[in-house]
Amino acid sequence: MKELKILAVLIVIVGVTYWGIEPLAHSIMHKHIEEAIHKYNLPDYKFSDLGSTPPLDGDPVKGKEAFQMFCTSCHGLKADGINPPMDAKTAAMSFGVVPPDLSNVTEFIDKKFLYHFLKDPAKATENKKFAMPAMGLNDEQIADIIAYLESKAKKVHGAELFKEACGRCHGAKYQKIYAETPPENLKKYLGKVPPDLSIIMKAKGEHYLVSFINKPQALLPGTSMPRVGLNKEATEELMKYLDEISDPHKEQRQKVGIIVLVYMLVMVGLTYAWKKKIWKNVH
Amino acid sequence: MEKKGGFMGWLDKRLAVDSLWKVMMSEYYLPKNINFLWSFGVLTMLVFVILVISGIFVLMYYKPDSHMAFDSVNKTIMMDVAYGWVFRHTHAVAASIMFLVLFVHMGRGIYYGSYKAPREVVWVTGFILFVLMAATAFTGYLLPWGQMSYWAAQTITTLFSKIPFIGPDLVIWIRGNYIVEDATLTRFFALHVTLLPALILVFTAVHLYAVRIVGSNNEDGIPMTKEEKKEKGIPFWPVFMSKEYFVMSVFLLFFFFLVFFNYNFAMDPINFQPADYLQTPPHIYPEWYFLAFYEVLRGFFFSEALGLIAFVLSMFIPLFLPWLDTSPYPYVSGKHRPMFKVIWWIFVADFVALTILGKLPPTGLFAWIGFVTSIIYFIFFIALPIIAAIEKKKVATGGGR
Ligand code: HEC
Ligand code: HEC
Ligand code: HEM
Repeated sequence: MKELKILAVLIVIVGVTYWGIEPLAHSIMHKHIEEAIHKYNLPDYKFSDLGSTPPLDGDPVKGKEAFQMFCTSCHGLKADGINPPMDAKTAAMSFGVVPPDLSNVTEFIDKKFLYHFLKDPAKATENKKFAMPAMGLNDEQIADIIAYLESKAKKVHGAELFKEACGRCHGAKYQKIYAETPPENLKKYLGKVPPDLSIIMKAKGEHYLVSFINKPQALLPGTSMPRVGLNKEATEELMKYLDEISDPHKEQRQKVGIIVLVYMLVMVGLTYAWKKKIWKNVH
Repeated sequence: MEKKGGFMGWLDKRLAVDSLWKVMMSEYYLPKNINFLWSFGVLTMLVFVILVISGIFVLMYYKPDSHMAFDSVNKTIMMDVAYGWVFRHTHAVAASIMFLVLFVHMGRGIYYGSYKAPREVVWVTGFILFVLMAATAFTGYLLPWGQMSYWAAQTITTLFSKIPFIGPDLVIWIRGNYIVEDATLTRFFALHVTLLPALILVFTAVHLYAVRIVGSNNEDGIPMTKEEKKEKGIPFWPVFMSKEYFVMSVFLLFFFFLVFFNYNFAMDPINFQPADYLQTPPHIYPEWYFLAFYEVLRGFFFSEALGLIAFVLSMFIPLFLPWLDTSPYPYVSGKHRPMFKVIWWIFVADFVALTILGKLPPTGLFAWIGFVTSIIYFIFFIALPIIAAIEKKKVATGGGR
């Protein structure tokens, strides 16, 4: 009985300490993050700070024309057999970053975001030095281009999604994925080399990542990472992928963990029985 | 152990294993009035064994090179090697839990007066073990070469630069360079895997030998001769150890729960970002077991110089407990010393408070609480001789026991 009391005291002391150095410390250190998430109501898949969007029911045929006029000087669209106008190295040198292939963008970039992005890339991405210029497109042209892009887009998953949405800047070297743009160009363009994302999920956690990708400026004010406008579905899919690659043995860990705990539980029983037996004669 | 023939008999003639077994195990007696806190010495040994075994396995794939260290840990060991992650998790959690077990072991020693005569040597060797363990943990934490590894090492080694005259040169000597970099990593690695564990082994042997000579203390702090213990006590084997095994099993259940299901406290998320000497993380803090001392450093009169002195004192002052506490009571246990009990509890509460504050940003209210708690830390050590003096008076006037 007395020993249980001592154990209880020990548990309280250890418990209070643990509470202090883990949940309490983290809640205080991450207060500004929680505040930002709360303030902007993140993740905000409506991108409400960008204002209203006109109806987007354009004509894909007219869209293709506009696309060829305005976009193919920088972007490729492999789904429709349009190759990028220059190789990656030249593009990186000209723009600081390789303009992405646009085959599937409408599948993972939110449509409303895309509208505002084409209207004014710097404003939508919240990156004043964004390498793609505003082209003075009117609403109809934008709607047509989006309709055209939609007509070609296919769903992408996992590594493909990662490469198409983030791969021009980020790599995941543990998956042998390397950023399309050479680091020295990125450094010049963005002020720093974007981090490798192989185990970013372990470092940052999903809660943070979802909001950060949704609105980088809110959580890391002044950052040069642009808002890319992922939609909800793509964000979730991407989170799943980042989690898998950062912790590939999760399932194994849980399985082995259960087995080990059950084994230890049996040992607790056996050693208790033995102790009882030996101590019966002590007194 | 009865019959003398066969291999055991052969071995006994040559190594006297029979008498060794008796001296060490079956005829080594412990008092009966000890509780499970007396198991924590053996638990520290268990954790040390776990550290050595898991350490050898991670060592097989670890690369002590600032360009390769991070990936060798986070990719090779955590992802590629079959069950490499088990050994890394085990090693990291065991390092952390070692200090939990050590703090309980030391707290037990203080509460029950185990540091007092005749156990001064047990206490001093134990304290040396604590310092060695701290050095091992500190050098080991740099090895994954993550952001927190790097900046904790950078911050703590910078402290040495405040030492008058030799400080700046000393820092460079420790780091092997002007900043923490490859040379620092390789030397920390060398210390972590060779010298420090070897010293721990040596001092553990002396520590245990000393315990065997003077015998275990007990809850009431009653001094007992070997004969008294033999009469009223329990033999180490099998009676004490049967309980010990049970305590170990419960401990391991808890330990493996942490290893598999709750390891973040031992593997800081920030450390999954590679070291970057250009980017200071927003919060730098050491591992949790150094937080209390770290808070003394930050909080003591808000002065860098005083803080550093207080920091060194706070770490080394427990070494002098046997000579600070000159209480004449024959029963050394704090259980029978009301005033001692009060300051012991204040000390424990204060240590917990310091640990928690050590991780919080030192601003506003936290800074002031840190200031107060870092002073309270020393009250225990200042109060001890005073309490001992009062107790001496009581004994002289026929009071006390
Ligand atoms: C135009 C290049 C670019 C693109 C595209 C890009 N990023 Fe980034 N990203 C950066 C830069 C630059 C940083 C460094 C920001 C800093 O530290 O200020 C960064 C940082 C990050 C971080 C670390 C945040 C932190 O708190 O340290 C994460 C996570 C991240 N990006 C995820 C993504 C994901 C996921 C995508 C794709 C959906 C993506 N990024 C697309 C440039 C980019
Ligand atoms: C002058 C070259 C140039 C032109 C013309 C251009 N872009 Fe871009 N575009 C870029 C560059 C460079 C980037 C990548 C910038 C970055 O990530 O910092 C980009 C990025 C994009 C993105 C990705 C945005 C995100 O959220 O990840 C889309 C979508 C896009 N462009 C669509 C278009 C469309 C549609 C047009 C034609 C109307 C067009 N671009 C015209 C250079 C150009
Ligand atoms: C690697 C570290 C250590 C190991 C392996 C270790 C091991 C042990 C063992 C096995 C015992 C006997 C069982 C027991 O009474 O719990 C013991 C006793 C003791 N240890 Fe340690 N110990 C370590 C560190 C320390 C430290 C850091 C201190 C304090 C500064 C300390 C102080 C003592 C004292 C005072 C006793 C005697 C307790 C009593 O008889 O009441 N030890 N130690």
